[in-house]
Amino acid sequence: MMSLAKGWLALVLLAALSGCATNSLFVSYPSQAQKWKTSLASETPNPAVLGKLEQSTAGGDGVLYFQELGRVSQLTDQPEASRNAFASAVAEYDKEDASAKIQVSSLAATGTAMLTNDNARPYVAPDYERIFTRAYQALNYWAAGDATGTSVELRAAALEQQVAANKRDKEIAKAEEDADENSIDLNQFDGYFEGLNAVAGDVKASFQNAWTFYLSALFWEAHGEYNDALVDYKKALEIHSSSTMLKEDVERVSNRMKRRKVDGGMVAVIYEQGFVQPRQEFSLPIPTVHGLFSVAFPTYALADKPMPNTLRVLDSASQPLGETQVLADVGALAAKDLKERMPGMLVRQTLRATAKYNVQKQANDNFGLIGSLSTQIYNLVSEQADQRSWLTLPAYAQATRFTLEPGEHTLLLSTPQGNATLTVPVVDRGLTVIHAVAIPGRLITRVLPVQEGPL
Amino acid sequence: MRRVLTMIMLGAAVALSGCSTVDYGDAQARETVNTDFGSTDLQMIASKMVDDMLVFPPIVQLTQSRRPVVFVDSIKNKTTEHIDTESITDTIQSKLLNSGKFRFVDMTKVESVREQLDYQSESGLVDPNTAAQMGRQIGAEFMMYGNFSSIVKREGSTKDVYYKFTLKLMNIQTGIIEWANEKEIRKTQKKSLFGM
Repeated sequence: MMSLAKGWLALVLLAALSGCATNSLFVSYPSQAQKWKTSLASETPNPAVLGKLEQSTAGGDGVLYFQELGRVSQLTDQPEASRNAFASAVAEYDKEDASAKIQVSSLAATGTAMLTNDNARPYVAPDYERIFTRAYQALNYWAAGDATGTSVELRAAALEQQVAANKRDKEIAKAEEDADENSIDLNQFDGYFEGLNAVAGDVKASFQNAWTFYLSALFWEAHGEYNDALVDYKKALEIHSSSTMLKEDVERVSNRMKRRKVDGGMVAVIYEQGFVQPRQEFSLPIPTVHGLFSVAFPTYALADKPMPNTLRVLDSASQPLGETQVLADVGALAAKDLKERMPGMLVRQTLRATAKYNVQKQANDNFGLIGSLSTQIYNLVSEQADQRSWLTLPAYAQATRFTLEPGEHTLLLSTPQGNATLTVPVVDRGLTVIHAVAIPGRLITRVLPVQEGPL
Repeated sequence: MRRVLTMIMLGAAVALSGCSTVDYGDAQARETVNTDFGSTDLQMIASKMVDDMLVFPPIVQLTQSRRPVVFVDSIKNKTTEHIDTESITDTIQSKLLNSGKFRFVDMTKVESVREQLDYQSESGLVDPNTAAQMGRQIGAEFMMYGNFSSIVKREGSTKDVYYKFTLKLMNIQTGIIEWANEKEIRKTQKKSLFGM
């Protein structure tokens, strides 16, 4: 038995020391993420925190840390670092897509996970995180004035959305069946909404991201690609079928395709509110004849979920110009993903509980009270729920848009997290995009290069 | 079970610590690392375009007694990958030039040329007899332009990529497209069952 126990210890050590070991094995991921989330509250990023984050990208959870690094760099005005980090995250997705179905390395990690917890398994980025990576990378290219790069990333985002929808074909089909009787009457809009599949909207909202569709629709519209713009506005409208703003957008682009002239320039505000809530751990101690046995599961607590609040835009005379509306509820996307992962987690948890129980029993039989106690402590400490997810994503992604006369305009952005006054250029038939991110204690704003053009 | 796990862990540790090697390869060799746009695709597109253009009867007739001047407009990248389309047109341009049938003007270097001409005529450092004169460049007769698009499907363990490269040659004065062709490429990748 002694040798067996040693064997276990050796295995855990080997796993911990090998490059594949993940950082979240014994330190919960949300507490790690809190460091860089806090550092974002100050204008100058803390180099020590960023350095640590960069180091973590070399581990088994590299893709997760690359995503965080890309986002943190973007918010701290380091476009080059952000672009590199997101490109590395995309390279990790490609690797994951091309990897064999059964991998020796992941088997080994699963083996380690049997003795410790699910955090030993390498992190696999869910669909909704991939979509955000592509959208943020598009914003990086957009901010740099690289239209080709932006269009490539937006197309890649659309591909990820399509893959996410294909995976859930059955769910969508079922929603369509269920909604057949109370389908939405779209005839009132003069054929603009032909081919719109709004009945599956609620289901699609749980894994697709209307905010990203909106972002790309804005980009295509500004570049005169009305066909692409119309498709993306319609996809956003499918998800939020009651949104007046999106209906107007669809109508406007339809009109532009008919070459009806539109005056003034458009200003769009894309607004990201707060941070998505982290996963909570709930621990279930199971009493056995040999002592307490704890089993940990991740969950999302409704109490943690922030309330959506909007960003209002006022002109210099304090007249309201627009108010953002929620296009993507990231907390809901994350919860849906966790729900889909749950069956696998339950299976592994049951196997793990059995494995750990056996060790505890053997320790009790062979080493008496001391052995039992130490394995109990090990089991309690090692039992950590998989709380990993991209935590610098916003809680809600919102947007609004309005038209202004050409010229310089001073706009006041008002949010509960703070206000900002911006002077933005508006070009006739052009598009000005304001990117606003509200994090606790701070409102970060920037104006993307103005697209003068065939809007 | 535990012994098996130990063996797997040890095996993984050994495999992961392997050394890397560097070697020279054949630049024309088929590259099938993944479905992304690669060197073989570039070579296939360029040779198909050039071969086709040089045997197209009206082009053969056109280039029999003279070497028309062409300028290359950008190829629009409409794929989901960051591809340097200039590199594709560079290869096509080199091949056409080497065929001796066409000549090119380079629009990407207009600014540098202008600077050099300004320097030669205005700095006073260059012998006026040898200085290149303004306004003596030859105007392009044709414009070469095109599109590069892709359709990607990814589901389960299969990834399918379809590329379509379209190239056109337009007579700038008449607006007539004298020649056009497209090259299609399809690549499919299937996940293997076992791997490291």
